Amino acid sequence: MYFVAKVKEDECAKYNCKQCVLFCPEPNCINFLEKKGTAWVWPDKCKGCEICVYVCSDLLKRNCIEMVMVQAGD
Amino acid sequence: MGLEYVKISPGFERYMPRDYVDLVKMGQFGRQVDVMDLGQFKELVEDHPMCAGCYMAYFIRIFYASLPNPEDTIVLGTAGCARLALSQAAVPFIYGNYGDTNAVASGLKRALTIRFPDKHKDVVVIAGDGGLMDIGFGMTMHSWFRREKFTTIMVDNEVYGNTGGQESGMSPKGVQLKMAPKGKQFDKINAVELAKVAGCVYVAKLSPTNPKRIAKVIRRAILAARHFGPTFIHAYTSCNIEYSIPTREVLADARNREKKDFKFYEWMTDEVKEYFEEMEKKEVKA
Ligand SMILES: Cc1ncc(C[n+]2csc(CCOP(=O)(O)OP(=O)(O)O)c2C)c(N)n1
Ligand code: SF4
Ligand SMILES: [Mg+2]
Repeated sequence: MYFVAKVKEDECAKYNCKQCVLFCPEPNCINFLEKKGTAWVWPDKCKGCEICVYVCSDLLKRNCIEMVMVQAGD
Repeated sequence: MGLEYVKISPGFERYMPRDYVDLVKMGQFGRQVDVMDLGQFKELVEDHPMCAGCYMAYFIRIFYASLPNPEDTIVLGTAGCARLALSQAAVPFIYGNYGDTNAVASGLKRALTIRFPDKHKDVVVIAGDGGLMDIGFGMTMHSWFRREKFTTIMVDNEVYGNTGGQESGMSPKGVQLKMAPKGKQFDKINAVELAKVAGCVYVAKLSPTNPKRIAKVIRRAILAARHFGPTFIHAYTSCNIEYSIPTREVLADARNREKKDFKFYEWMTDEVKEYFEEMEKKEVKA
């Protein structure tokens, strides 16, 4: 079981902002889906640092990313 | 090295790992990506074992997205945390003995210039504060004295992160670390001024709070090194482990340091300034 970021896509799509993608330390981890205008996290690559949550919630007050527990193989 | 070398031979595509195919089809080879498009192309650097929330890892991520010619670049590193990610990128990486990066880079750059007289091969050193300003100090300085044409990037986490928290010449005065229990007795080395006096033609200091600006600085440092001489970037890249920064606050810490001793600073010789002004004029026209 481990802790990863998950984007609430419907919320995120309202802003077309992408700031979390630009500040994540991990490569290819938070990506941006142009069609839907939303960020999404590749859970296998996420180390759970929550820097994206800091960007989205603390800096931008948009609250579109939550931390969730996942099981290996989820 | 070179674009032809990167491409997949016809017929072999279905046997190549997915990551590699993505790299060739949706990656950075042969085109200049905009760092602001991160998340929409396949990055050069892959999964690596640097700690969660490490902002040295973040800087390295932006570094690879900023390379002007990844297919014609060689990266050199040494013992220390950075090599954990540098060794996981689709750009040739040379790992030398601790502290010898700038000596190896000097020889390599000279050899590449002889071997490829009509091509630019970019050589970039990325090493820690310990690697460049302590143990490799002599080699760093002499590469600058001799005006060797490559870029040196110091990822300064103000500690020996990889070996568990010894103080370095770059640790701030007074700071208490696991293996500096009495607090550091001396001032932080002024690396930027040293670089200027020693002969660097382009010098920048930054905290990683603005990806667009990091990319601009990296490109400038690499381009100036091609034509004029040694270039140096001093980047604050916190170690959240040794400095006990909760990972969620790592960016806040970088923003905070930017307001204090890591204000953005950029310096270049007149010759280099003219070169960039000309280049930017041409870019506007195009
Ligand atoms: C000649 C030599 N001396 C000592 C070491 C042990 N060593 C490995 S990494 C390191 C310190 C790294 O500190 P720094 O260069 O600041 O990189 P960081 O891990 O902080 O990024 C040391 C002393 C070594 N590998 N080789
Ligand atoms: S020990 Fe520090 S510098 Fe090294 S990977 Fe971990 S957080 Fe980064
Ligand atoms: Mg260090």
